[in-house]
Amino acid sequence: MTETKKDESIAEKFEKEKEGEEHLHHAPGTMVLTLLLLLSFVVYYFANWKALADVWPVR
Amino acid sequence: MAKHEAAPPIPMPGAGGVADEPGFAKGNHAGGEVRTCDTTGLPVCLNAQFFIRVNAVMAVVSLLVGGICALLLGLTRWPAVHLLSAEWFYRVLTAHGLNMLIFWIIFMEIAILYFVGTTLLNTRLASKKTAWVSFVLMVAGAVITNAMIWMGKADVLMTSYTPLQAHPAFYLGIILFAVGTLIGVINFFATIYIAKRDKTYNGSVPLVVFGGITAAIIAVVTLLHGAGIYIPTFLWSLGLIENVDAAAYRLVWWGLGHTSQQINVAAMVSVWYLIATITVGAKPLNQAVCRGAFVLYILFINLASAHHLLVDPGVGAGWKIWNTSYAMYLAVLASMIHGYTVPASIEVAQRKNGWNKGLFQWLAKAPWKNPAFSAVFMSLVIFGFIGGITGVTLGTEQINIIAHNTLRIPGHFHATVVGGTTLAFMGLTYYVVPLIFKREIVAKPLARIQPYLFAAGITTMAIFMSFAGSYGVPRRHWDVGFSGAQLAAGFDSTAHLMLGIMGIGAVLAFTGLLIYILITVVSVFFGPKIEDRPMKAW
Repeated sequence: MTETKKDESIAEKFEKEKEGEEHLHHAPGTMVLTLLLLLSFVVYYFANWKALADVWPVR
Repeated sequence: MAKHEAAPPIPMPGAGGVADEPGFAKGNHAGGEVRTCDTTGLPVCLNAQFFIRVNAVMAVVSLLVGGICALLLGLTRWPAVHLLSAEWFYRVLTAHGLNMLIFWIIFMEIAILYFVGTTLLNTRLASKKTAWVSFVLMVAGAVITNAMIWMGKADVLMTSYTPLQAHPAFYLGIILFAVGTLIGVINFFATIYIAKRDKTYNGSVPLVVFGGITAAIIAVVTLLHGAGIYIPTFLWSLGLIENVDAAAYRLVWWGLGHTSQQINVAAMVSVWYLIATITVGAKPLNQAVCRGAFVLYILFINLASAHHLLVDPGVGAGWKIWNTSYAMYLAVLASMIHGYTVPASIEVAQRKNGWNKGLFQWLAKAPWKNPAFSAVFMSLVIFGFIGGITGVTLGTEQINIIAHNTLRIPGHFHATVVGGTTLAFMGLTYYVVPLIFKREIVAKPLARIQPYLFAAGITTMAIFMSFAGSYGVPRRHWDVGFSGAQLAAGFDSTAHLMLGIMGIGAVLAFTGLLIYILITVVSVFFGPKIEDRPMKAW
C-alpha cells in the first residue's frame, strides 16, 4: 500500500468508493426502460388474471 | 466516418483484461496454427477458425430450410391464403421446428463455443479430430432427420409425442445430432481445460466465455435428457420394446425441448455482451452479479420446462406450482439481471463517450447503422418486452389454462427464440464474416436495414399470433375454419383478421431472413477479401 493510501481517511475511502460506484452505475435511461418493462408486465399480468376471472368466475 | 475507412481497433472482451496484460501472448498454439486478427488484435486459432466456419455455414443452411418452411406455414395459417394441404402442413411444421429450434441454433452455438473458447482465451482448439467427429455426426444427423421428414416418414412434429411413431431413422438422426453436439461441447470444455492448464489467460475467464460455459453446461443437461428419451423411443420404433409411456415421454422430452432453448438464451446473452463490447466498448457493470445470473440459469432453467406440463394429469399440483411459480422465477430473475446490465453497460459506455445529454442521448447516438448493434439491441427489447412478459404470464399455472395450446404459446416463443436469439445471432454474423471468414460484408446499405425489417416482421407476427391465440385459435392446427366438420365451428372474423396480419408479419420476417442469408452467402463467397488490414468500419 502506498503512503498516500495509508494517509487516506476512512471517510475519504468511502467517498471515493461512492464516486466510483456512481460513475460505474449511472444509467438513468436504462432505469426508465426497466420501469417501463415492469409497468408493461404489471398491465399484461393483471389483464390476464382479469381474463381468467371472466371466463372462470368464482361464485 | 468515411465510407471506406478502416474500423477502429475493436475492444473485445478480455482485450482490456487479457490481451493487454503480460502473459497473453503466451498462447499454446503450434507454429503456423494461429493468426492475429488485424481488426481486434486477438489471436485466432486456425483449426478453430475452420470449424467456426463450417458450423456457421451449416447453421445458415438450416436457417434457410427452416425459413422457407416458416413462410409456407405463415401462408397456410393465414386463412385467406391457406396454402398447404393438411398433410404437407404437418410435414413442413415438423421440418420448421427441427431446423429452426435445433439445427440452426445449435450449429451456430457450437461455432460460438469454438470462438469464445479459443480466441478469447488465446488457446488452441483441444482436438481437431474430435471437432471433425462432432461436425460429421451433427451433419449426418441433420441430413438423416430432414430426409425422413421430407420423405413423409416422420409427420410427428418436432415434439414427436408418443404414441405418434416416426421411421426409426428419424430418431436415429436426432440421436446422431445430439451425440455430435455433446462431443463438440466436450471439445469446448477440453479447450477451456488446456487454456487453464497452459496459463494462456490471466485471472478469471471473460464474462462472454463464462456465458459460453453456462450454455455448454445446460447443453449437457439437455442432451442427457435427449438421450434418455430418444434412445428408448428409437428402440420402440424398431419394435424392440413394447411401448414408451406418453406421460413419461412428455416429462423427459421437455427436459430436452425446453432446456435446449435455454442453451440459446445463455448463448444469446453472451452475444449481447460481446456485441455491446465490440460496438460501443461496453464493459459489464458488475462481474459478480452478471456471473451469478448465469449460475441461476444453470440451477433453475431446467425446472422451468415444467410449464409445458401444466395441463398434464400425470404430475401433481404441488410439483407444477413449485417448478413454475417458484423455481422458474429464479431463472426469470437471471434474464431480468442481464436485461438490465446489458443496456446499462451500453449506456455507461455511451455516456463515457460523451453522449451525456438527458435521459436518452446515449441511446439516440448509439451506432444504429451498425447492423450488429441494431440487431442486438432490438433482440434485447423483443426478448424482454414481448417474450419475457408473455413467458412469465403464460407460465403461471392459473393463467396458463386460458392460453395452453393456443397460438399465444408460439406467439411467446417466436419473440424469445426468433426475435431474441435468431436476431442476436444475425447481428453476430456481421462480425463473424469479416473477422473469421476474412471477407467484407457486401451490400452494406441493405445489411443496415436487414435487422429492422426482420425485427418488424417477427414482432408483428408474434404479437398477432398472441392476439389470435387470445381468441382461442389453437396452435399446430391446419384449418381454423374446421371445414367439413359435422357441427358448425370456427372463430369470428376478428380472429381471422389477426391471423391475416400474422401472415403479413411472417412474409416481412421471411424477407428480412432472405436478405440476411443472401448477404451472408454472397459475402462469404464473393465479398472483398480482408488480408493484412482491419475490416472496414460500419
